[in-house]
Amino acid sequence: MIPSPEPADPSSPRFSHPAEEAFAKILDFYGIAWVYEPRTFPLEWDEHGVTVEAFRPDFYLPDQDLYIELTTLRPELSTRKNRKLRRVKELYPEINIKLFKRREMRDLMVKFGLYDQAAGIEGTQAQKPEGLLRKNAQQNAG
Amino acid sequence: MSVVTISRQIGSLGCQVARLAAEALGYRLFWREVINKAARCCGAPDAALADIDELGLLGLKTSLKASQSYVEAVKRVIEDLAAEGDVVIVGRGGQTILRGPPNVLHVRLVAPAGLRAERLAQRHQISLEGARAQVEARDRYRRNYLKRFYHIDWDNPELYDLILNTARFTPEEAARHIVQATLNLPFPARQETLFPYDTIPGAC
Repeated sequence: MIPSPEPADPSSPRFSHPAEEAFAKILDFYGIAWVYEPRTFPLEWDEHGVTVEAFRPDFYLPDQDLYIELTTLRPELSTRKNRKLRRVKELYPEINIKLFKRREMRDLMVKFGLYDQAAGIEGTQAQKPEGLLRKNAQQNAG
Repeated sequence: MSVVTISRQIGSLGCQVARLAAEALGYRLFWREVINKAARCCGAPDAALADIDELGLLGLKTSLKASQSYVEAVKRVIEDLAAEGDVVIVGRGGQTILRGPPNVLHVRLVAPAGLRAERLAQRHQISLEGARAQVEARDRYRRNYLKRFYHIDWDNPELYDLILNTARFTPEEAARHIVQATLNLPFPARQETLFPYDTIPGAC
């Protein structure tokens, strides 16, 4: 049985990674309604029926009825998430879920002037975009 | 039982004009609802998300089969809405899906690219350079969407009954022209549903 979605928390959620916050900003930019980590899907149980492995997608888009999971380009993490995703689809075939690689978003955001949205995607896995450097320099100068 | 479809360039204030026209006519306004309903109907939510993602920020790649299924669902949703009547439908190929019936008015909203970029830059508090890039990308996306799925040229004036340049008209004036044109259709709006613009929240 698929657990029912919990009501959206109207307050701003605490994101566990800056990339998630950046993604939320993109959704806001497009006017797409979202809920952060609204549901956990049990994947494996022990002999007592206790959940030993579960999967909690990062976002749920109620209007599209779509779950979103963000991932990095690190192959070991990607592989693990892909495996979990396959298991989710086996156990819960009715749900729609999509895996996003977050690094793909950054350069385009900068190109379109969305510096604030792109800021969350900086870090060790991505180079600092030139546009951001420019903007930060201007802000520091001002 | 009339229908108004509105095709708009990004930054042409199309959604604002559509809202004002719908309120003045007493019609229901449909924009993103068409996408969402189509997504739910065809079970291709990522195709809908890809459709919303005009700038390609999400980098979604959907299969041709999923895209076609989604576009078919969009067509059915728009046709159903038109059958109900008294609706304003924004975007998604309404000008070609509902081509032909005499009770449908097809409107196109345009403005010079520079002005549209300025509007976007102001609205989203972004650089003019970034706004220009958005205008180019979103124009290209909408042009390609109609070309790919409906084989029409978005800029072909023959697709529209009324083309309004919002560099010349305020949103209220543009909405007034749409209302007037709708009243001239074979099945116009009920007169009693019309009300003065100064009763619309946010109107000048």
